Amino acid sequence: MALDTVRANKLRSALTILGVSVGVITIIFMVSIIQGLNKAFADQIESLGSNTIFVAKFEPSFGKPPGPDEIHRKDLTMDDAEALRREAPSIAGVSPIHRLLAGTAHYQDKQTDTPIVFGVTPYYEFVHTQYAARGRFINDIDMQDRSNVCVLGVDVVQALFPYEDPLNKEVRINGNPFQVIGVMEPLGSFFGQSRDNSIFMPISTFDKYYPDLPFPQTVFFIIVRPQSRAYVKSSIDEITDILRRRRHVAPNEKNNFGISSQDSLLDIYNQLTGATALVLTAISFVALMIGGIGVMNIMLVSVTERTKEIGIRKAVGATKINILSQFLIEAVVLTGIGGLAGLLVGEVASVLMNKYSPLPAYVPVWAIVVGIGISAAVGIVFGLWPAWKAARLDPIEALRWE
Amino acid sequence: MSDVTLATLPTEERTSANGNGRPEVVSLIAMRDIWKTYEMGSEKVHALHGVSFEVRKGEYIAITGPSGSGKSTLMNLIGCLDTPSQGEYWLNGKNVSEMDDDELARIRNQEVGFVFQTFNLLARATALHNVELPLIYGGIGSAKRHEMAKQALAAVDLADRVTHRPNELSGGQRQRVAIARALVNHPSILLADEPTGALDTHTSQEIMDLFERLHEEGNTVVLVTHEPDIAARAHRIISIRDGQIEKDQVVR
Repeated sequence: MALDTVRANKLRSALTILGVSVGVITIIFMVSIIQGLNKAFADQIESLGSNTIFVAKFEPSFGKPPGPDEIHRKDLTMDDAEALRREAPSIAGVSPIHRLLAGTAHYQDKQTDTPIVFGVTPYYEFVHTQYAARGRFINDIDMQDRSNVCVLGVDVVQALFPYEDPLNKEVRINGNPFQVIGVMEPLGSFFGQSRDNSIFMPISTFDKYYPDLPFPQTVFFIIVRPQSRAYVKSSIDEITDILRRRRHVAPNEKNNFGISSQDSLLDIYNQLTGATALVLTAISFVALMIGGIGVMNIMLVSVTERTKEIGIRKAVGATKINILSQFLIEAVVLTGIGGLAGLLVGEVASVLMNKYSPLPAYVPVWAIVVGIGISAAVGIVFGLWPAWKAARLDPIEALRWE
Repeated sequence: MSDVTLATLPTEERTSANGNGRPEVVSLIAMRDIWKTYEMGSEKVHALHGVSFEVRKGEYIAITGPSGSGKSTLMNLIGCLDTPSQGEYWLNGKNVSEMDDDELARIRNQEVGFVFQTFNLLARATALHNVELPLIYGGIGSAKRHEMAKQALAAVDLADRVTHRPNELSGGQRQRVAIARALVNHPSILLADEPTGALDTHTSQEIMDLFERLHEEGNTVVLVTHEPDIAARAHRIISIRDGQIEKDQVVR
């Protein structure tokens, strides 16, 4: 019975359905993007290195600049890193890193301006489980001598040595001569951003050339590798104890350094995307509301048009509930079809997106259920008033209506 | 259900009949001092004032009167589409005047079969579906519904028009579908409002013959009309004028 009227007013029904579809498409699409990003992020964090702990002067954040109190904190030092390595029993390795965000590297007529320059210790390879694929990595002698040696990421090799073997060649890094002693194994990319666009040099050499560059041009942080995943928690506790003692933090004060594991990074990320998701959800709901208003409009027109029919139905014994449910079902059928159509389009869009764009997308099952549920709910909410209007019609008036 | 006489009422009700104001002689329809008042702005318009009459089962009655006499108002009351402002209306032993909307809907479904001047069929539904409509609201299952609707259509000689839609039928056929719809639930009364008003003379005669036949088969027929020759086919004529009964006479 409800489908009859949908069929009888094809164009009008199609337009109404379209309104709801757009709302559902928006929801599905937004959810799929957020979910896809989350999933990819979790995967990538996992791939960043097994269970490493990140220690820095600042609290962990994603792109949010540190607050004024964080800026004025005492820097972490090489001695801190050394103390962690010596004193924390749960820790397998410590890798202090000094990082320059973008350096310039030259070889003959070739130049690249984008590589990240890392000052590292020989422990880097072990802690990050990333090793030199060719040549060798930085060793203790390089450290002692503050040698001008460097190990290149594969992106830098591609940029500077497209046709040559880079080993033992001399490159200029920010104008200073360095000998290439090795090439790192590739790490791949993280969210479309390559992780192989890097230059490694001894941290002692790094400090020789860039002793006073302030944040954010250079950052110092310490990466810690626990004995195993089971030691993450105890490692964090030990690091916290050691650093609080070394940095003279009173017992009742908060840490004046940032410490984070992959889990806490994920937490922060989820908080961030949670806020984004909220905004996107709000937008989706506005889209659905507009669809719903369309449904209400159509249902009101339909009720007016079918006043006579309502009168006839009431005359032969339809109760208010009968009429109410008839029109509600019609509204829900309309929005339900819209929801299904929207679901289909959203699903196809996210599949296409996965295939043809770097942005990952993923539609979880709950989003499908919620999508259908919400579109049905829109039908009920926006169909209720027109249906109630129909149910309340006076049968005598309705029968007289032409 | 259609067989309503004094004997069918529960004993207690019969014995206490006078005590609770129930009409002494249980008629199918008992109207007691019915008033219907409409408020037009600040003015009160009495469409009916003090109408009383009774209808026994199996009667064939015509209610006549000029337009504006109140006969439409009276028909709406008899058909339980409306309730009186004052007075009592008993239909088949039930006090309709105190019912709410849902109870009225149920009474319309079970006790009243409407036939309208303009047929009032659902335009997009087949004859069968139109006839089934009261059964749907009566909560009857689809198999039984089909069976009953087909029987009702056969009773008005439309067994071969079951799947036709109203626009594929002639005026007389449409009215017969409407009559089948009115009869399908075996109501207490068949209530027809100017049933021949939209039909030519010949078809009108056919429809009136059908009403006569239905009456002979035991149905109680109440006909509302302003045409004297149509009214003349009834056995009793109630004339309404200015909201009151002017004349109530048995003519056959």
